[in-house]
Amino acid sequence: MDHPLSLKLASLSLVSQHKLECILSTCGNKIDFIIDPMLIKPLERICGVTWLRQHGVDKIYKMDPQLGATANTKRAYLIPACLHKYKCVLDQIASVLSLNPSLSETKCFHIIIVPKTMSTYDSILESKGLYDIVQLHSFSWELFNLDDQLLSLELPFLYKQVFVEQNQSLLSSIAMSLWSLFHVTGRPKCILSLGKVSSSVLDVLEVYKESYQRDFINVDKSQDFGSLIIMDRDQDYASSLLTPATYTGLLNEIFSINCGQLDLNVKETKIKKGKVNFTTEEKSDKKTVITLDSFTDTLYGEIKHRHFSEVLSVLSSKAKLLKNEDIKALGIQEMKDYVTTKLQQVTLFKHNLVNHVLACETIIAEMNNKFENLTQTECEMLNNRNKKGNYTYVDEHFGTDIHVYNSLRLMCLLSLTQGLSYDEYNSLVSKYLLAFGYKFLYVFNNLISAGLLVQPSSPKLSLNISHLSNLSERLPKWQTAFQNTANKLKQLPQTESENSPGYVFNGSYIPLVAAMCNTLLTSESLLEVLNKLSPLNDLKVGGAIIDKQKIGMETLNEKLSNLSLNNFELSCKDAKTILKTLKSDSKMNGGINIKPRTVLVYIIGGVTYAEIAACDVIQTITNSKIFIASDCVSSGSDVMAANL
Amino acid sequence: MDDDDYWNNSETKAKAFSFDDDVLSTQEILAIGQKPYSGQSNDVPFSSTIVNNTKRNLIPLNTLISPKVLDLIVLAQSGKDPKDKIPENIDTTVATLKRLILGRSCFLNVHRSLKSKTELLDGAVALGDGNAILTVVLFLIQTLNKKVVHELLSSRPLALNHYISYLRSECKITELTDLLTMLGRSPEAAVYQLQHIVKTQGNNVEGLLRKLNNILSNHFNQPGIDAHSTKMLTDYIKFLEWQKYVNKTELNNKSVLECLTHCCQLHWHEGAGNMMSPLTLCQRQQITPLQYDWVVLNVHANSNKWDIVESLFTKKDWLGRTTVSSHIPIETLLSKLNELQASKRMMATCLNKIQNGDDKLRLAYKYKIHSVVIESLLKQKDRTALTNYKMTLSPQSEEYILAENTLREPSIKWKN
Repeated sequence: MDHPLSLKLASLSLVSQHKLECILSTCGNKIDFIIDPMLIKPLERICGVTWLRQHGVDKIYKMDPQLGATANTKRAYLIPACLHKYKCVLDQIASVLSLNPSLSETKCFHIIIVPKTMSTYDSILESKGLYDIVQLHSFSWELFNLDDQLLSLELPFLYKQVFVEQNQSLLSSIAMSLWSLFHVTGRPKCILSLGKVSSSVLDVLEVYKESYQRDFINVDKSQDFGSLIIMDRDQDYASSLLTPATYTGLLNEIFSINCGQLDLNVKETKIKKGKVNFTTEEKSDKKTVITLDSFTDTLYGEIKHRHFSEVLSVLSSKAKLLKNEDIKALGIQEMKDYVTTKLQQVTLFKHNLVNHVLACETIIAEMNNKFENLTQTECEMLNNRNKKGNYTYVDEHFGTDIHVYNSLRLMCLLSLTQGLSYDEYNSLVSKYLLAFGYKFLYVFNNLISAGLLVQPSSPKLSLNISHLSNLSERLPKWQTAFQNTANKLKQLPQTESENSPGYVFNGSYIPLVAAMCNTLLTSESLLEVLNKLSPLNDLKVGGAIIDKQKIGMETLNEKLSNLSLNNFELSCKDAKTILKTLKSDSKMNGGINIKPRTVLVYIIGGVTYAEIAACDVIQTITNSKIFIASDCVSSGSDVMAANL
Repeated sequence: MDDDDYWNNSETKAKAFSFDDDVLSTQEILAIGQKPYSGQSNDVPFSSTIVNNTKRNLIPLNTLISPKVLDLIVLAQSGKDPKDKIPENIDTTVATLKRLILGRSCFLNVHRSLKSKTELLDGAVALGDGNAILTVVLFLIQTLNKKVVHELLSSRPLALNHYISYLRSECKITELTDLLTMLGRSPEAAVYQLQHIVKTQGNNVEGLLRKLNNILSNHFNQPGIDAHSTKMLTDYIKFLEWQKYVNKTELNNKSVLECLTHCCQLHWHEGAGNMMSPLTLCQRQQITPLQYDWVVLNVHANSNKWDIVESLFTKKDWLGRTTVSSHIPIETLLSKLNELQASKRMMATCLNKIQNGDDKLRLAYKYKIHSVVIESLLKQKDRTALTNYKMTLSPQSEEYILAENTLREPSIKWKN
């Protein structure tokens, strides 16, 4: 008997719970549990207070550098893998020890780090003289099932580390999350990876797989996912930078969402907070939370992926249904039944309805005036039209209603799609620094190293290299490299058509992952898939599907010891090479028939709600199932914030 | 409904929520529902309910995964050695790399030859696990001399990036600068220096001034540094000097525009020579006229000083007519004035600045500036449109009478 996949994914939280239980069991009893605020929401999905009490926790505190004496001597800290926070905890422990040196003998300090301890953490511990006094534990929780077909590892700091700081220390945690997941779902037969980070994750996954190979692991059991597409965030920045047109996309533009929980703060929206403040308004402290989960809120399930223009009419029709429900006409027995069975549901439904209406109102108030011009300009940028007008729009935006994240986002989009001249670039930088402070000069360097911004060379330098850069002139004038690739992959719809996943960006752009899913789900063979995706660099293929092509059966150890830097293929093979083999080998007849019905998409560096909605369209058209996983659900402003 | 229709429809902008008669307004929906539902408050450090799991019947753990596999998953999390497997020969490069990736303890010291060290580094880079890369890099730094390590790193960008990222997070700024300078990447070093100073000095204006002057002469005045970055740093220093002079703690660590806001609020009438005068700050920091106008408009409108706004943004032309003069593009200005609840008269003056009749009419409709709508329709001799518009006005209001009188005017040759 096999359980439905959705239930299996929801049950992953039990594995997380078990992992935490194993850690707590080594910490003993009567523990003061000190938790970093950003981990509270995720932890609530794993266990409750009662459960913690049953597993040795006595008191719970929020982590605060100023935290004084606590009830018990035993302390267990739960913090994310962030060097600064780690050092803060160590300082706190050191000051407790200085007041009470005898505690150093009792092994009463534990630090639980999510998702794992780094090797540098050990040496820091040693250098502070706390080795053996403080015990470090890694807590690698499993993917959270936030919503139907949506999984997230909830590590929102991962994008910054991997893409801005270029520190790949947490890749093994992603690999481990996939490794555990596949114990529950089976391994997908066909794996497409796009980007260097993704291919490293698959290599590390291979190390895990081989190192923990045991005879009781049945590899051929259920195969819930036919395919895995794993992709680096920087392979499709446009999907992060563009303004979404779906309900959830816009929710994430306006409200902060943490671990599937939306903070319905209508006074202090993300848009308002990011602007220069000219008044002294008071802050509200009322808190309303919406849980974005279609399992508990069916109404949300119905509107989440809709184009925003449709949402209010859906809400209105639901309200009418409620209004028409005539309770007075019920008899006493019916009334009793109603109260016991339906009333609670109806009340909950009403609550949800009201909250969504409030959210819609706020979206309209914040976006109404800007939305049309903004999306139109974005569309022009994508298609490389009206460059001067687009720059004027952005420049004016920087001079007036400048926003700490969203303005940078426009600048990046313009730079990636049409390019900025030296003077244009500097004019925007100057305005930004005047508005938010010269100290942010470094931000532009971060954006450049994250690949979000292209730095124009100064006029002097560009004179010297201009005759070398004839390459770019080979492209037709109306296309930049961005449009070139996007056109080949049919990501820029020229005519409006129904059922196009492009509706998530008001009909102007189809997210890359949706285009890839579509190709994978509609092609007859691997050859066709690779042919269609050939404009993509850094595409690799892995999984059982290429095992037949491997020459001889090298073991992991052999591969590792024969590795050469330039041509390293551990778990997957370069797509271009496979394409060549498939083309030349007529016997293989276009290669392997794949046709998966269920696809898992994993985006490293945060997935956007627009991408989720676009994949939803693809699964409907192709009559398949697409599950989305990532390290977090993010918005364009989150990506910008990571560079600050 | 068409995708764009909702946003385009000028009607929806004023009465934002009604699509057609059949759709309830938000107020009506809210009335059917009740008060907003307050979720759990954040006062308690940890809520006592499990968010969604209690509501679903999850698959019991031992059915989901076999206990043996579960043990393995826990083992992998802990990074400990398995009991059932004899550890491999641990001094080979491959074994070390695997242990590093799995988070197990390693003895790197067995790798003493340069060949073995290089293989280790190349292996870690090829696999791409950052934790392994950094561990190996730090081991090389410990055991090899600087020159050799830097040579190894300079041809391996991924390893180098991890080392740079490590030095940055550990605030080892001198080592970072030395490294980058040696690699010929001093412009980057200059920016890291700046970031480091900003981070460590916080609100301390004097400290910032001293250190920034220092990096200006030592790092930003070198060849290869982008001229505009140097200018920005010079401007920063100039601004800090202003902050030091005015000596107000509430202005420390504030941006130029935030300080300009302060000056406009409290020192509006001070002359150009005075340090607190908005004009002084504007000239000193080369605030663009557009940004200046924007701040001034927002500050005075928010404190209801419309007389100042009007005197600044309108002037009389030689015929004695009032026109608008501002660096803010007219559509943006209108939208902002509307948001700030400017008078209809001000809005009308603004609209009259627009030359293109169609644009003028569209915006007049959008912001319901009746006098301009009526005048524009009169210009177009469009009786039908004016009659229709009259219907939307409340009877016997000033606008209504104006519309009616216009329609009755016998001298007009209507086109319809």
